[in-house]
Amino acid sequence: MMQFKALLLDAYRQLSAAKLFWLTIGLSTLVVLLYGSIGFDKNGVTLFYGLWDVESKELNAGSPWARGLYIGIYSSFLVNIWLAWIATVLALISTCSIFPEFVHSGSIELTISKPIGRLKLFFSKYLVSLLFVVLQVTIFCIGIFLCVGFRVGDWNPMIFSAIPIVTIFFSYLFSVCVFVGMLSRSGITALLVTGVFWMGLWSVQTAESIMNNFITRYKVDIEHFEEGLIKSEAALAIIEEKSPDDSRIEGRRTRIANFRTDIEESKEALAKLDGWHGPISWILTISPKTSQTIGLLDRWLSDPDGFDIGAIMNGDMEAFYEDIEDMEEIDSTTRGARERETMRRMREDYETRSLWYVLGTSLLFEGFVLGLASCYFCRKDF
Amino acid sequence: MAVIQIQDVEKIYKGKVHALRGVSIDVMDGEIFGLLGPNGAGKSTLVKILMTVIHASKVSGTLLEKPIGDRKTLEYVGYLPEHHRFPYYLTGKQVLHHYGALSKVSRNDRDSRAYSLLERLGLSGWEDKKVNTYSKGMLQRLGIAQALMNDPKLLILDEPTDGVDPVGRREIRDLLAELREEGRAIFLNSHLLSELEMVCDRVAIMVKGQVTLQGTIDSLTKDSKRYELNIEGTLPEWAKEQCDEINENLLIVHGDDPQKIQPIIDRLRSDHCTILSVRPVRENLEDLFMRAVDYTDTPGAVK
Repeated sequence: MMQFKALLLDAYRQLSAAKLFWLTIGLSTLVVLLYGSIGFDKNGVTLFYGLWDVESKELNAGSPWARGLYIGIYSSFLVNIWLAWIATVLALISTCSIFPEFVHSGSIELTISKPIGRLKLFFSKYLVSLLFVVLQVTIFCIGIFLCVGFRVGDWNPMIFSAIPIVTIFFSYLFSVCVFVGMLSRSGITALLVTGVFWMGLWSVQTAESIMNNFITRYKVDIEHFEEGLIKSEAALAIIEEKSPDDSRIEGRRTRIANFRTDIEESKEALAKLDGWHGPISWILTISPKTSQTIGLLDRWLSDPDGFDIGAIMNGDMEAFYEDIEDMEEIDSTTRGARERETMRRMREDYETRSLWYVLGTSLLFEGFVLGLASCYFCRKDF
Repeated sequence: MAVIQIQDVEKIYKGKVHALRGVSIDVMDGEIFGLLGPNGAGKSTLVKILMTVIHASKVSGTLLEKPIGDRKTLEYVGYLPEHHRFPYYLTGKQVLHHYGALSKVSRNDRDSRAYSLLERLGLSGWEDKKVNTYSKGMLQRLGIAQALMNDPKLLILDEPTDGVDPVGRREIRDLLAELREEGRAIFLNSHLLSELEMVCDRVAIMVKGQVTLQGTIDSLTKDSKRYELNIEGTLPEWAKEQCDEINENLLIVHGDDPQKIQPIIDRLRSDHCTILSVRPVRENLEDLFMRAVDYTDTPGAVK
């Protein structure tokens, strides 16, 4: 424990000696201050600590939508954009040289000649290197917790779930950074390769998401077409039974033929997409799911009674309108209904993916990479 | 008691470089042992194997009576690597605390030892300054202090006087002598032959991954002891028979027995030869080193 504490203290000193650490803390504070500048009064929303007022009947002090909006800004924007992108990039820049420096000739001899096993040393160093993100996110979450508490009266401890979530998210990337840094002994190389890896992950996840969207859409279409086909066939049967010479019969037959064609075309397209979706799903299954990991926060913080900004950003207008009739007035077309259904199913699909799938498989990947890195570290002659 | 006892240490690097070829060394408790050799001889590789920094291809023996590679033993060993680098963001005191904690030295012991060592190594007043403001010599002294933080029974120093000025070198030499008086064994790895000669009880010379000579400096240079008589003028004819070597006006008699040269001196005086000087001569470490290292070959490890 004494050795772990020494490494932890050393990591803190290393971070606090880095200007980028303080720059990131400063930027995080600025983001929290901007977030805190949004408030609600009885007339609506106030911005920049009351400098600018926006009147609103729905979003005002005490409204459940105000709470939903406020927490939604945090879980959908601040976490997704600030913590999961900008702060992570800054964290990677700050930490990419930790392991190359650690294994640098002249430094490593001093450390590994001490009575501490190499494996223990490696994992201790790895864990304490995550301190940068833990500290950054903790400070950020404290600020957000206070803002949400004071602004909408919701002292929500789930806000702090961002600390483990963002740290785990960062650790997926950091494990690759550590492995490459150990092999190349270059922070820049480690950073570049990690960046490429991250882009690769993003591409796979985006491709899977787009394909999943199309597949779900085709499935919904097929269901709607089949439903339409059954209804049309039933209607045709009734018409034919009542008056075989009815002028509507031809129209119904054309519609039925169209439904059949649409079903065939959709099934063909679905089969083609399934062929591509399978391998991509496999790649996604064995790789770290960065977006879905961050998405857990949105899942845990979303308010079933409130204003779900994440859902609205995804096109699910149902979340904005309490009354389904209101929604149907806006979106009453068949295509709109199908799209809405597609979004609903996709959202449900992602939200019902188990923690094991999202975190477990991602951590397995991280464990594999760290296993390789630790094996290299333990066997290496320095 | 032998603090280091190793036999037949072999190290072959991946590129098939045969860095060590059956090295056997014994270092006894309370002695200063010097390891010499040209660049690439394998000295640092051997030290790193002892400190578990490098894995040997083959090794048998003990370090403080425990098998080589035993981590727990390292609690009692102090080590200063060659070209060491301390984290730039630490102060001298923090360096000692950090490496002391990694060596499992308690907080109280670290507190007391850090100040006394900094004082002993002439770094008082620098304890709270960042190490990136230290000179090379100061870093070297801090490195030695770091190696002493765990109050080691065995101290392994790789080029401890590298970059240190003559005054600092003398201080380090005196410190090493003090540490030996305290009963610690010291294993020195250095290029500076004169430094080693002044402090080492025993030495080993490594060439191309093998120990070619090992023992006390006295025993190793015993055969080289001789008397040199410098004569003015023409040498008498009989001198060629009485002396082992003649080099112009220099008569050389091998051995360290002064009685052996008395008849020669008497005869020279009776022949009215002027004796300018009579000098007992012994090979120094540098001569020994040069003899052991065949510089007609390229120095370095064997491929």
